[in-house]
Amino acid sequence: MMILAKLALGAAGTLAVATVYTFREGTIRVDVDEHRSGGSHVHLWVPAALVPAAMHFVPDDKLQEAAAHAHEALPIVKIVAKELGNYPNAEFVQVDSAEEHVKVSVRNGKVYVDVQDHGDEVHVAVPVSTIEDVIENISERDRAQ
Amino acid sequence: MTSSFAKCVKSFSIAAALLLTPFAANAQTTSSSSGSDRWLHVRVVSSDNKGETVRVNVPLDLAEKVLPAINKDRLHNGKVTIDRSEMEGVDCRALLEAIKTTKDGEFVTVESHDSDVKVAKQGGYMLVHVTEKRWNEGKDGKESKDAKMTEKSRVEVKVPMKVVEALFSGGKNELDVLAALRALSAHGDTELVSVKDGDQTVRVWLDSKSSSD
Repeated sequence: MMILAKLALGAAGTLAVATVYTFREGTIRVDVDEHRSGGSHVHLWVPAALVPAAMHFVPDDKLQEAAAHAHEALPIVKIVAKELGNYPNAEFVQVDSAEEHVKVSVRNGKVYVDVQDHGDEVHVAVPVSTIEDVIENISERDRAQ
Repeated sequence: MTSSFAKCVKSFSIAAALLLTPFAANAQTTSSSSGSDRWLHVRVVSSDNKGETVRVNVPLDLAEKVLPAINKDRLHNGKVTIDRSEMEGVDCRALLEAIKTTKDGEFVTVESHDSDVKVAKQGGYMLVHVTEKRWNEGKDGKESKDAKMTEKSRVEVKVPMKVVEALFSGGKNELDVLAALRALSAHGDTELVSVKDGDQTVRVWLDSKSSSD
């Protein structure tokens, strides 16, 4: 009985640690809702920690191509991503009109892009640390070229 | 048996707490780091049938760090190169020096049929006011002698002298935007630009709030 309890606790512990490790950088969330007949609805939750790991599986030539395209903007995006960490809660851009609403903000270390356009909605949330990781990864490939 | 199980749970709790502590500590440091930031706000309000409002809030610290990284066209290392031919023989540096040493007052006043321009120095600020005029036409479509004037647009710019000085502190043919930003961030809350043009109003100001409302 005791062994079973210890085994269960071990398994639960491992699961908890694995969960904490996987979600340590939060989640990337993408929600797309087209409120019309035949409109698509996409709801995606991905652990942010998986993104840098997944980038290692992207073929070099594809990443180098992306790096070449973003070559000029990379240093700027890198600084912005790094500095965003200093502004955990801020609204950077907000556009409001009768039928359109756009908001780019940072809340609790996550960059949020919220768009409402004639009833269609797109919401994207990405942890700042993930953006930093991705930019760093692309920069490395850019330097390697 | 129960006590050993309790010990296991206790050890597990401590391990979990230790594992999560760095994240909590990190969250605390990041949330407290933006206490005395200066923010540049831009608000454009359109009163036409779309009724669009645009709000942009930029931390000056962020702008100061990003600006040197932008190297495109005439902007390099936070400095904008001015083409001499665009200056039409005006020595801005000498002009600025003259304004700096002069007492408060109005330096330039141009009143014409279509617009009024005023440049002045007041309380450590450089003020530029431009008013575009609209003359109401008579019934025959021509301007009569008694035609009434209304404001077509009004632009008011109020820049601290220290910022203007910093802007011209670089080389002879360049504007040091980065130095101007630094001077601006050392300045208190202030309204910089106000534009009223037909259906649109634009406001640019500086304060220490991260939101524009």
